[in-house]
Amino acid sequence: MIPVILSLFIFPVITGLILLILPWKTTKFIVIISALSLSAISVYLFINIDQPYYFAVPQYLNKVVAGFDILLLIYFGWIALRLKNWKIGILSALQLALLFYLLRVLPSSHSMQFMVDKLAVFMYLIINIISGIIAFYATRYMEEEDCSLSRKKYFLSVMFFFIAAMNMVVSADDLEYFYLFFELTTLASFLFIGFRKDPESVRNALTALWMNQAGGLVILAAIFFIAYNGYGAATFSNLMANGSASGVLIPLALLGMGALVKGAQIPFSNWLLGAMVAPTPVSALLHSSTMVKIAPFMILRLSPVLKDTPVAMVLVALSGFVFLASAIGALAQDNFKKILAHSTIALLALMIMMAAIGTPATILASLILILFHAISKSMLFLNAGILEKVFHIKQTSDMDRLGETGPFTSLAITIGFMSLLIPPFGAFIGKWLSIETLGSFAGNKNIFAVFVIIAVACGGAVLAFLYFKVLGIMISRSGEHDRIPFENTGTVFSVSIYILLVMLFTSMLALPVMLTGIFVPVVSGLSGVPLMAAYSGFTLQVGDLAIPLLPMMAAIVLFPVTVIVAMFLRFKKVDRAKEYACGEKINYSFSSFYFSTERVTPWFSIIGVLCLIALLVAACI
Amino acid sequence: MKLAVYRKKSPWILHYNAGGCNGCDIEILACLGPKYDIERFGMINSGNPKQSDILLVTGPVTKRSRERLVEVYAQMPEPKVVVSCGACACTGGVFRGMYNCEGGIDQYIPVDVYVCGCGSRPEQIIDGVIKALDILERKTLELEVSVRLKKVPVEENGQVNRREVAAKIIHTQHTYE
Amino acid sequence: MKGFIIPVLLIILAPFIGGLVHGLERIVRARMQRRIGPPLLQPFYDFLKLAGKRKMIVHSAHAFLGIMHFVSLWFALALLLLGGDLILVIFLHLLSTSLLILAGYSTRSIFSHLGANRTAISILAYEPVLIILAVSFYLVTGSFETAAVFNYDKPLLLEMPLAFVALLLILPVKLKKSPFDVAEAHQEITGGTEIEFSGIFYEAVYTAKWLDYVFCYTLVYLFAGNNILLGAALILFTFIYVNALDNSSARVNYKQMLRFSLAVAFSLAFLNLILNIVI
Repeated sequence: MIPVILSLFIFPVITGLILLILPWKTTKFIVIISALSLSAISVYLFINIDQPYYFAVPQYLNKVVAGFDILLLIYFGWIALRLKNWKIGILSALQLALLFYLLRVLPSSHSMQFMVDKLAVFMYLIINIISGIIAFYATRYMEEEDCSLSRKKYFLSVMFFFIAAMNMVVSADDLEYFYLFFELTTLASFLFIGFRKDPESVRNALTALWMNQAGGLVILAAIFFIAYNGYGAATFSNLMANGSASGVLIPLALLGMGALVKGAQIPFSNWLLGAMVAPTPVSALLHSSTMVKIAPFMILRLSPVLKDTPVAMVLVALSGFVFLASAIGALAQDNFKKILAHSTIALLALMIMMAAIGTPATILASLILILFHAISKSMLFLNAGILEKVFHIKQTSDMDRLGETGPFTSLAITIGFMSLLIPPFGAFIGKWLSIETLGSFAGNKNIFAVFVIIAVACGGAVLAFLYFKVLGIMISRSGEHDRIPFENTGTVFSVSIYILLVMLFTSMLALPVMLTGIFVPVVSGLSGVPLMAAYSGFTLQVGDLAIPLLPMMAAIVLFPVTVIVAMFLRFKKVDRAKEYACGEKINYSFSSFYFSTERVTPWFSIIGVLCLIALLVAACI
Repeated sequence: MKLAVYRKKSPWILHYNAGGCNGCDIEILACLGPKYDIERFGMINSGNPKQSDILLVTGPVTKRSRERLVEVYAQMPEPKVVVSCGACACTGGVFRGMYNCEGGIDQYIPVDVYVCGCGSRPEQIIDGVIKALDILERKTLELEVSVRLKKVPVEENGQVNRREVAAKIIHTQHTYE
Repeated sequence: MKGFIIPVLLIILAPFIGGLVHGLERIVRARMQRRIGPPLLQPFYDFLKLAGKRKMIVHSAHAFLGIMHFVSLWFALALLLLGGDLILVIFLHLLSTSLLILAGYSTRSIFSHLGANRTAISILAYEPVLIILAVSFYLVTGSFETAAVFNYDKPLLLEMPLAFVALLLILPVKLKKSPFDVAEAHQEITGGTEIEFSGIFYEAVYTAKWLDYVFCYTLVYLFAGNNILLGAALILFTFIYVNALDNSSARVNYKQMLRFSLAVAFSLAFLNLILNIVI
């Protein structure tokens, strides 16, 4: 098994190197081959790994990892010097000092550096399959990008290095290794955001860098506290084993804070919003479907020890607040990608919240959200890229008449948004499970849960409203153009959208099977307690929750089929009339509504900072 | 079941002012009030041509309003009747012969019932509408054409506007003559 | 078996019941204005007349979305009456509303767009309250399924009176009645989303409104538990209340509506939730 797992780490790196060397013409071929084989490997691993699987790498690699850490920090310091950014400078200097101290203090003999459990292979599935599609899409996107050929190759190869880093970060058990891979994803994020090299990109890249550096610093601090408290080697499994030891809350809170940074929760949300200046495949891959998922992943990893602690309470409160606040913040946005970014932050908050509560049902909800959000949001982002490259649209207010010029793109965006909102799609199931489990907490006289329910209910409504803001301007078309052929966006673009659409619909149809086949084993592996999932008639009993399948199946007919049929259906022998406009015959131009939320948004970050302080206070008490 | 029976029972009214003095309009609104209460016949002042059966027009059709009048008329689905309400709508009234008006709406759209008066009393309007209901019951689903529309229709994507279909019929009739 | 027949009958007859409610409402409203008003069966006359009109649409997608709005609303209602999961019912209702909103947006008609915008805003006004109501029902009955509510042997009204008040406050938003009828606003945007429908296609949207009556009054009935008499009394009270309010109040704008429903109705529902937990 070890060679197979290691191939997931090494194979993308090799692909990245090959992409750098070989001519551009061959890239598409190489990308397809490696995407397919990476997906195949991840599926193979998912089928074959049931129990947590520990393995060690040779001891000298520890030194290599430490060396890489130092090199990376020196590189960041150099950037800070070159661009005169004191925040990055201070943070990397602090990290460097802490790292040197830790290298001296920590016991040098690590037993097992990697652990591949069900959660890790679940993440492999998402990372490799989604990244494969996005890399394939990027081959075409980069052709249109205005930069030299070598930079295009560089872009694609960094993308594959990133896949390798992601695969490693989810399988690291040793926190030192985890820290390195965490920093590598930060580096990837930094390089990609600054890819276009204009002043705005550079500025936003620096913002992303210093915020993620803060994340790295708190992880190092967590390692320090693990060593200080004397739990032995700084590994996740060691931390779990000392779950009830005194003082364990401090490293937990620090790791949680690292997750909040990566997940761009509110005091740190600026970096993800700024990251939208990067080329769209990056937004799709790093900033919505995979890298930011490290946040719920970390919390899920820690959930067995984290649940029912004050730290978890603060995390839940913060993420509940973020869910609502970022949805409200999005109402003032006009840039399509920024709207998507806000909704990503909101849904990440929901995932973190569910993971932090940590009962089997909420873990299930979190996992369902992770998977479906990855599919839906990457599809939406790829469509944003198509809008940018084919239709030359970046703002939602320019999307007027898109329903006429790009019916397929508008259909895909409609389905994407609706899949985040209403039944029968998975994202809805996640939201539904979360409300029901929070309700059952409230049933146990837990007033705290009430506030979270309210945040979820209001945030969900605001998000629904937000989606209609985009849809409203996009799908309108006039009566005379009833018969519209689908636009031609090019093979690569349309194929990648088709694949994601098919994935969305198959996963929606196969959800009952996937619940028992994919999600329940992961949940059982995480919580230690096997989660029972069984059919009784037309209800699927998962733990305490009964999921009625019959209405779900009917909902499948109702929504997705309706929207698609509406696209193709033509009523015969029916007159067509113009729209009513009091008898006028003017061609109106439409725009979507706009809410000014600038008055409240400054308060959001203040509340976020207060929550962070509360997190530390809760850990120390 | 003959659905035509129910046309009489639920006539929805579209009220259009083609440049009148508002006298007749006030009377039409009075019909809706407690004293005359035309809702007891199931009538609604719907304000939307697409869901209406009776077009109630007041005013002498000023040049600015005639295009709208024809457009609104074309947007009403058949069967439909037109009631011209008041002296201006019937003949042009005191505005007849003025540079900016035409003499009555029947120069543009086919009128079924003429209600006289300046302004016509609510009783007269109700009577006219009830008369129009008898005509409505006898009408078919054939496309009705507005009178003065001689524009050549433009086909776009294999579909034509209703109004232009009507114009097509008129056009062929005129070429016969 | 007996407990199964009544809901199924109700579901099948829902459009007829809704139509009767609408007819009765028109009479009651007319009598409140000292008019005579139309006959009781007037909505059905309208229905039959609309069926006989020449077919006319703006474009096919628009017409089809309108029809599916009706179908999905009927489905949500069926699930509610059959004792399904309340959260799922609320989201299915959201689905049907969103189909109507999409239909409204799919044309290039200004009134239709305005109506769709305002319908989306009214979702913002009532959706959180409904979800909180569902959680309150859960806290009292111990189950999210409406079947548990229908079989609950105490009147829920006494256990969650504030939630009932909150529901009363958002019902005008949902039923598109004054003072919260911005989404429809006949005198202002001539019906909003429904404006471009005509003839047999308008029937779908028109009948969907009747279904909405049944849906809302079933929500009211939930507060009676298994006490049918109390349920009938509650429905009657709500019916008179909604129509009296509709007749006696002027339309507010959407901001005022949003502010009111979030500040008053929402806080009441919230307070009720807290009380349910504490007590």
